[in-house]
Amino acid sequence: MIIEIGHFALILAFVLSALQSVVPVWGAVTGDRRLMAVAPPVAGMMFLLVGIAFAALTQAYMVSDFSVVNVVENSHSAKPDLYKITGVWGNHEGSLLLWVLILVLFGALVAAFGRNIPMELKAATLGVQGWVTAAFLLFMLATSNPFLRASPAPIEGNDLNPILQDVGLAIHPPLLYVGYVGFSIVFSFAIAALILGRVDAAWARWVRPWTLLAWMFLTLGIAMGSYWAYYELGWGGYWFWDPVENASFMPWLAGTALLHSAIVMEKRGALKVWTVLLAILTFSLSLLGTFLVRSGVLTSVHAFATDPARGTFILGILVVFIGGSLALYAWRAPMLKQGGLFAPVSREGALVLNNLLLTVATAAVLIGTLYPLLLEVLTDEKISVGPPFFNLTFGPLMIPLLLAMPFGPFLAWKRGDLAAVGQRLYAVAGLALLAMLVTAWMEGAEKILAALGVGLAAWVICGAAAEILSRARFRDVGLSTGLARLAGLPGSAWGTALGHAGIGLTLLGIVAVSAFQEEKVLTIRPGESVEISHYSLAFAGLARRTGPNYVDDVGHFDIYRGGVKVAVADPAKRLYTARRMPTTEAGIVTFGLLSQVYVSIGEVHADGGADIRLYYKPLVTLIWIGCLVMSFGAVLSLFDRRLRVGAPKPAARKMVAAGQGAE
Amino acid sequence: MTLWIAFSILTVLAALAVLVPLARSGRDEAAVAALHDAEVYKAQLAEVDRDLDRGLISPEAAQAARTEIARRLIAADREARQTGSQTGEAGKAAAVARLRLVQGLALALVPLGAVAAYLAFGSPDMPDQPLAARLEMPADGRSLPELVARVERHLADNPGDGRGWDVLAPVYMRMGRAEDAAAAYAAAIRLLGSDPRRETDRGEALVVANNGIVSAEARAAFERAVKLEAGAVKPRFFLALALTQEDRRDEAVAAWRALLADARGGEAWAEAARLELAKLGVETAETAAAPAAPGPSREQIEAASEMAESDRQEMIRSMVDGLDRRLAEDGGSMEDWMRLMRALDVLGERDRLREVIARAGEALKDDPAAVAGVRQLARELGEGS
Repeated sequence: MIIEIGHFALILAFVLSALQSVVPVWGAVTGDRRLMAVAPPVAGMMFLLVGIAFAALTQAYMVSDFSVVNVVENSHSAKPDLYKITGVWGNHEGSLLLWVLILVLFGALVAAFGRNIPMELKAATLGVQGWVTAAFLLFMLATSNPFLRASPAPIEGNDLNPILQDVGLAIHPPLLYVGYVGFSIVFSFAIAALILGRVDAAWARWVRPWTLLAWMFLTLGIAMGSYWAYYELGWGGYWFWDPVENASFMPWLAGTALLHSAIVMEKRGALKVWTVLLAILTFSLSLLGTFLVRSGVLTSVHAFATDPARGTFILGILVVFIGGSLALYAWRAPMLKQGGLFAPVSREGALVLNNLLLTVATAAVLIGTLYPLLLEVLTDEKISVGPPFFNLTFGPLMIPLLLAMPFGPFLAWKRGDLAAVGQRLYAVAGLALLAMLVTAWMEGAEKILAALGVGLAAWVICGAAAEILSRARFRDVGLSTGLARLAGLPGSAWGTALGHAGIGLTLLGIVAVSAFQEEKVLTIRPGESVEISHYSLAFAGLARRTGPNYVDDVGHFDIYRGGVKVAVADPAKRLYTARRMPTTEAGIVTFGLLSQVYVSIGEVHADGGADIRLYYKPLVTLIWIGCLVMSFGAVLSLFDRRLRVGAPKPAARKMVAAGQGAE
Repeated sequence: MTLWIAFSILTVLAALAVLVPLARSGRDEAAVAALHDAEVYKAQLAEVDRDLDRGLISPEAAQAARTEIARRLIAADREARQTGSQTGEAGKAAAVARLRLVQGLALALVPLGAVAAYLAFGSPDMPDQPLAARLEMPADGRSLPELVARVERHLADNPGDGRGWDVLAPVYMRMGRAEDAAAAYAAAIRLLGSDPRRETDRGEALVVANNGIVSAEARAAFERAVKLEAGAVKPRFFLALALTQEDRRDEAVAAWRALLADARGGEAWAEAARLELAKLGVETAETAAAPAAPGPSREQIEAASEMAESDRQEMIRSMVDGLDRRLAEDGGSMEDWMRLMRALDVLGERDRLREVIARAGEALKDDPAAVAGVRQLARELGEGS
C-alpha cells in the first residue's frame, strides 16, 4: 500500500505542477493577487507529495520489496542497509526522483523564506519552477516510472552496480543535484524577471544567496566525485575531462561567473541584463549535463542508462527550455533597464574580466565535450577529445584569470587605481617569486613549468591573505585593534578570501601531483619490498575476506620510512558475487595530511604474487582541501545577511589613473 | 479500501492548497513592485550607516554610497506614484471570471487527472511485499524459490546447522544450481561428517557444475565414498568415467567391466556403462543387442549442446519437422501435439503454431479432455481464443 501511495502522490504532484505552471504566472501578468497567492502553498504541497513518493520508494528499498521493478533491478537483500538507501538514487528512475525532490524543495524554500520578495516576482518565479517540475515529472511518469510493479515478485534482486556501492558515490549525486537543481531557482528568477519586464532591486538581492548555495553544493559534489574516481577506479587520476565530469564542470564555471556578476548587480545595480543571461545559461548547462548523463548518449565509466526513448524525451525538454528561454531573452531583455556606469579599471571592470574569461572557458569545455558527439552523429566516426585539448584551451584561459585574481578585491568600486593596487601587491609578488625560485632550486631547472605553477598558486593564496590583512589595517591601528577588526570583517569578505585561496590550494595540489608524483607498476611476491619516494613497502601476501555481498582478495603492505614501520595499507581486489563484477579498492595512506602513498592491486597470480600500481602523490589532498575551503568561504558569505552596498570611490579627483589601465 | 481513503486525503489536501489561497480576500494593499524597491533602498541606507559605525567603510565612501542610493530611491518613488492603482471596475469582472475558472480547474483537474493517470499507470490491487514478511509466511503454497530463499536466510543466520545444508543441497541440484549444491554438500559434510551418500552427491554436483568433467576434487569425493562403502555403484560409475575422460583406456575398461558385473540387468546406469564401453571399442553382448534408443540419443544431445546457436536451431527444426510429419501421417496423442506446439513456440513460428493448434483440434475432436488440454496450452502460449 505504501508503494501505491507513493505512486499516487507522484501523479498528484504532476497534476499540481501543471496548475502551478499556469495559475500564478497568469496572476502575475494580470496583476491578480488571488491567483498569485496560489503559488506558495502549492509549492509546499508539491514538496510534501514528492517527499511522500521518495519516502515510499526508500521504504521499498529498505525492506527489499521485490514487487517493485526498480528495486528488483537495483537492489539485493544482502546489500548493507546504507547501500539499500543510496541505491534509491543509484539508478536512472530513482535519481530522477531525487532530482525532482530537490527541484520542489527549492520551490518550497522560496515559498517559505521569500517573504520580502515582491508578490509578482515570487509568483512568476514559482510558476517557472512549476514548468520545470511538470516537464520532469511527465518525463518520469511517461518513460522512467520508479513505481512499476512486478508480478509475481522475484525472490531476489539483481544488486546495485558494484562500482556505485561506495560511500563516496553514495553522497556524490545528492550534492551534485543540489548544485545542478539549485541553479533552477536562479533560472526561474531570471525568466520571471523577463516575463514581468523588470529587474527589481529585490531580484538582485535574491539571486546571489541562491547562486551561492547552489554553487557551494556543486563544488562539493564535483570534489566528491573527483575523490571517488581517485580512490575507486584504481589508477590514481582525479580528473579525466570525461564528458560526465565536464557535464558538472560547465555549470560550475558558468555558475562561478554568475556568482561574480550577481555581486556587481547586487551592490552596484549594473550588469543586470548580463546576469539574467548568465542565469539562463547556467541552468541550461545543468539541463545539458542531466541530458548527457541520463540519456546515455555517452559511453564512459559513468554512463549506465541507455534507452533512446528517454534520450529523445530529455532532448525535447532541453530544446524547449533552452530555446524558449533564450528566445524570451532576445525578445524581452531590450526592455530591461540598464544599471549603473563604471570605469574599465574598477571592481566592476575586474569582475567583467572574470566573467569574460570564465564564459570563454565554459565555451571551450562545451566544444570539447560536444564536438565528439556531433562528429559521431554526422560522420559515424568515434573520436575522443582528451586532456591535450583541454590543457591547450582551458589552461591558457585560466592563467590570466588567476594572475588578475588578487587585483580584483583591492580595486575600488566604480573607478579604481591599478597602480596603487599594484603597490599593495608588491609583497605578494615577492612571496610568489620566492616560492618559484625555491621550487626551481629544489627540483632543478627542467621542471620550470612546475616552478611557474607553484609561483602562480602562491600568488593567488598570498593575494587572498593580503586582501584580508589589509582590510584589518594592522599597520595603522596596531595588533590588538587589527585582530578585532579582522574578526569583525563581514562574512562576505572572508568568503571572497577563502574562495580565492581555495582555488590557489587546488592549483598547488594539481601542480605538485602532475610534476612531482612518482609511479611504479610491477609484479610483487610475498616477502618482497618495493621503494617509492622515502617509503619502502613490504608485501606480506594476499588473504581472502568475505563481506556481506562480496569477496575481497586483500593484499597487506607494511610501510616503512627509514627502517621504522609508519603505516599499513590494505588494497583489495573485490568481487561482487551477485553480478560477478570485480572492482578495485585502492590502499591509500596519507602522510602529514597532504601527501599520499597509493597502491592498487591488478592481476593476482597463482603463486600468491600480484601486479600492483604504486604511486607517491605529494600534496595531492590539497586538490580537495582547496574545494572544501572554497565551499566554506561560500558558507561564510551565505551567512552574511547584510544588505550589500558597494560604496563607490568618490569622484572628487576626476579619475586620475583610471581609464588607461592595463587590462 | 484504506488505500483509496489515503488517496482521497492526499487529493483533498492538494485541492485545498489551490482553493484556500483563492478564497482569501483579494483586496490587499496596492501591489506595486516599485514600492518594494523603495523599501530595499531604504534598508540599504540604514545598512550604510551601520557599516560606517562599525568602521567598515570610510565617511567619504559612506557619503558617496548614500548619494547613489538616494538617487535610486527617488527614481523608485516616482515610478511607484506613476503606476499607482489602475485596476478599475472593468478589471474586477475579469478577475472574478479568472477566479471561477481556476477554482473549477482545481476542483475538476486535481481529482480527475490524478485518478485517471493513476488508473493508467498504478497497480491498486498489489499489496506491498517486503521480503522478510514473504519469507515468514506459512510454507504451504509458497513457490520453491521462496522456500529456498527462506532456508538460505535461516542458514545465513545459523551457518552451523548441518541438517539445513543437507536438506538444501539436493534442492539446489534440482534447480540447476550445481555450484551452490556442491558448496551446500561441503558444508553438510563439514558439520555432520562424511558419509557415502553426501560424498557421492557432492562429487556429482561438482561434475555437473564442471559441465560433465570429473575434476580432481570430485574424484577425491568419489574415492572417499568408495572407501566408506566399497560396493556403492554411483561413485564407481563416476570414477570409471574419470578414467575414460583421462584416456586411461585399459583401467577404464576394467572399471566399467567391474561395474557391469554388479548389474542385475535393466538398470539405467548399466545401459550408460555399456555405451561408454562401446565408445572405448569394447563390444558387450548387451550393446550389440540393444535397440536403438527412441528420440535423440545421448550423443545427439551432447552434440546439440556443443553446437553453435544457429546449428542447434537447425537441429531442433529438423526434429520438429519429423514430429510434424509423423503426426500428420499417423496421428498422435494429446502429449505429442502439445510437444509440437511448445517447440514451435520456442522457435517463434507463430503462424505455423496457429495452424498446428487448428489441426490438433481437428485430430483430437473425439476426445473432449484432450481438446481442452490443447486449448489451455494454446492460451498459455498466447494463442488462446
